[in-house]
Amino acid sequence: MAMALGLLAPTVASAQSAEALSKKKLSRRKAKLATHRGWVTMTVSYRDVVNPAIRRKLLSGLPTVIASRTYVFPDKGKQPVALGVKTCRIVFDLWDEVFRIDLQQGGRGRQTVAVNVEGVLRRCAEARRQPIVAKRSLKPQQRYFMGVAVEVNPLSPQMMDRIKRWVSRPKGAGTVGPGDSLFGSFVGLFITHVPDADRAISFRTQPFVPAVLPVIPTKKGDRRASR
Amino acid sequence: MPVHGRRVGLSAALAVLVATSSLARVSGAAEPPVESEATGDAAKGRLRYTLDGIEVRGNQRTVDRVVLRYIPFEPGDVLDVADPEIELTRFRLLGTGFFSSVRISLRKGRRRGAAVLVIDVEERNTIIVENVAMGIAADEDAEGNSEPITPYLGVQVAETNLAGTGITLGAGIGVAADQFALQMRFADPAFVGSEWAFTSSMHYIAARDFFGIKDVSFESPLLELREVTDYAVVSYSRFGGTIGAGHDLSTSTRVLFDYGLERVEALVPTVASHVRGHTREPIDFDILPGASVLSTINAALIYDTRDTPFLPTRGALGSIRGTLGLEPLGSSYGYQKLEASLAYWWRLPWRHVVSLEGQVGAIAGDAPFFEMFYVGDYTDLLPDRILGLNPDRRQPPNILGTDIVEVRYGNYAAKLEAEYRIPLYVGRGSVYGIDFFTGAGLYGVATSRDFEDPPTGYEGAARAPIDLTYNLGLRIETYVGGFSVAFSNLFGLLPAREGGRK
Repeated sequence: MAMALGLLAPTVASAQSAEALSKKKLSRRKAKLATHRGWVTMTVSYRDVVNPAIRRKLLSGLPTVIASRTYVFPDKGKQPVALGVKTCRIVFDLWDEVFRIDLQQGGRGRQTVAVNVEGVLRRCAEARRQPIVAKRSLKPQQRYFMGVAVEVNPLSPQMMDRIKRWVSRPKGAGTVGPGDSLFGSFVGLFITHVPDADRAISFRTQPFVPAVLPVIPTKKGDRRASR
Repeated sequence: MPVHGRRVGLSAALAVLVATSSLARVSGAAEPPVESEATGDAAKGRLRYTLDGIEVRGNQRTVDRVVLRYIPFEPGDVLDVADPEIELTRFRLLGTGFFSSVRISLRKGRRRGAAVLVIDVEERNTIIVENVAMGIAADEDAEGNSEPITPYLGVQVAETNLAGTGITLGAGIGVAADQFALQMRFADPAFVGSEWAFTSSMHYIAARDFFGIKDVSFESPLLELREVTDYAVVSYSRFGGTIGAGHDLSTSTRVLFDYGLERVEALVPTVASHVRGHTREPIDFDILPGASVLSTINAALIYDTRDTPFLPTRGALGSIRGTLGLEPLGSSYGYQKLEASLAYWWRLPWRHVVSLEGQVGAIAGDAPFFEMFYVGDYTDLLPDRILGLNPDRRQPPNILGTDIVEVRYGNYAAKLEAEYRIPLYVGRGSVYGIDFFTGAGLYGVATSRDFEDPPTGYEGAARAPIDLTYNLGLRIETYVGGFSVAFSNLFGLLPAREGGRK
């Protein structure tokens, strides 16, 4: 199990840790869960993470990252037993007028192109038979569920620290006298709260028992779920 | 054009060379090169554009140059869309407090491969309440019981974006019984477009202060001052200002300098004595009667790595401050003052926060009493000074039963304090967080005489003018600022358990 977690170590910092996720009362979302080539896979849409503001941002010409983390929890437990990560870095190419997508999943990277936002959503705002955990890592008869956290432009702790310093101590703030310390530093307090991400949603799937998951047959040349 | 390594090889590299040489020929790099650079990263979707220009939109009051001051790019630069500076720029602009939202995007430039950086801002109200302090100042009767007598209030407001120039103009007023203070402040965070901030301030303070430990006898030239029979009252006014500069050495280190000049007019009792310990002695008011001048040079070095200024969970805040009272520059008071402080915050595994803070200060020479260390600034059980006013007459509580009650102003001060915070609420709306806090510490304030000639009637450890301080309450971090609701002001109204206060 530790190996499964290690292999799927996240490449982006997440504001929504497994601990935070386990404490939340998550809305339930129907996912298609199955096993394929020995892995438990998940198919679910989270297109709602792309609201009009994020849609505008996708067209800004600057990178947008959509990162999803899928934790596998025992149905009556708070400690995740596995984690699957998928990140999409999307940049709209101003001159070629296409979205260039750098997709990272299961430790592998792939570059692709989408010609419109719909293409971006299909690749980055949906899990399509995404392998989450090796089936043999789970107890066959135990009930599990998946907790999913999706973030748009999550900030790394290092970036967060840097930003907080900027917003906390604007240039030119402060005076020599300690008694006047509030005179000038208060401005920074306007936005002390720096959001961890531009947008975040989380949900959980229905529970599942590994032993009774449907098996998707392997077709010749099908590498979608290969690791 | 934004190109990708696999598609463009030598031809792109040559194009870049051509572009670079054409850039060098163009005066001021106003004309963008035809092609942008391609790198191995391009295959991963890293795009680079030559910046055609920077466009600021949505600013009604704020002038463009104020916005551009925070943007580390210029026309002609090759902009990597993955450069983290772009996102930092957004937060840098939000950090000014001038805007409620900042959006950064790119649009096509005039030629293929070029782009225009577009900054969309939404302005916000920039008149802010910087500080509000209010409480009850108290007297005490002969048995040491508190007698609330007067409220006090201090308010500081500022326009942080004066006429859209990014300049701060602030004003403050403090009112207490028979006392008031006015303050104005001006700050330009980028003086004539430089990396230096320019600051200046003016103040007028008409105040009183109360001297004498017990059995005070005095003769005042003013009849109204004789009405206060328990204290020898000094009535004084201060009018002057400062002019200074500041510079950020790094994101965590800042240096500040200023020169202060003020005229002090003091009405001091002609004769006054009190009982210090068990001995009657004359009162030293530490101020020159009549008109005098205070001329000082001040410098401060501040090191700040806190993650947030109001409810920090990690990091450090350290400062060293020095003041020189300069007789050669016309000061009637020649003295040197040095203060240092260091505080650390740690987040515990169970998400509570603990902090430890130490402060020390020393004054050599003849500083006026309002420049000396005041016990109320060190114990949480008395109000701090507000805009130069000292609203409270009481002696400090004396929990340890030492001769701290014999001290009001000192030449030496030190404090060690620990605080424990428990987050009660974390939000994303208008209230970002509410923490319960409790703290306790040990502090000491002493004059040189307390070491050379301690007050009579105290023996052993009681001769050390130290005492405990404590506090508890709530700290609330909101969209409009941070608020502390502390109960120490109420605790301070309770009689001290040990030791005679008067």
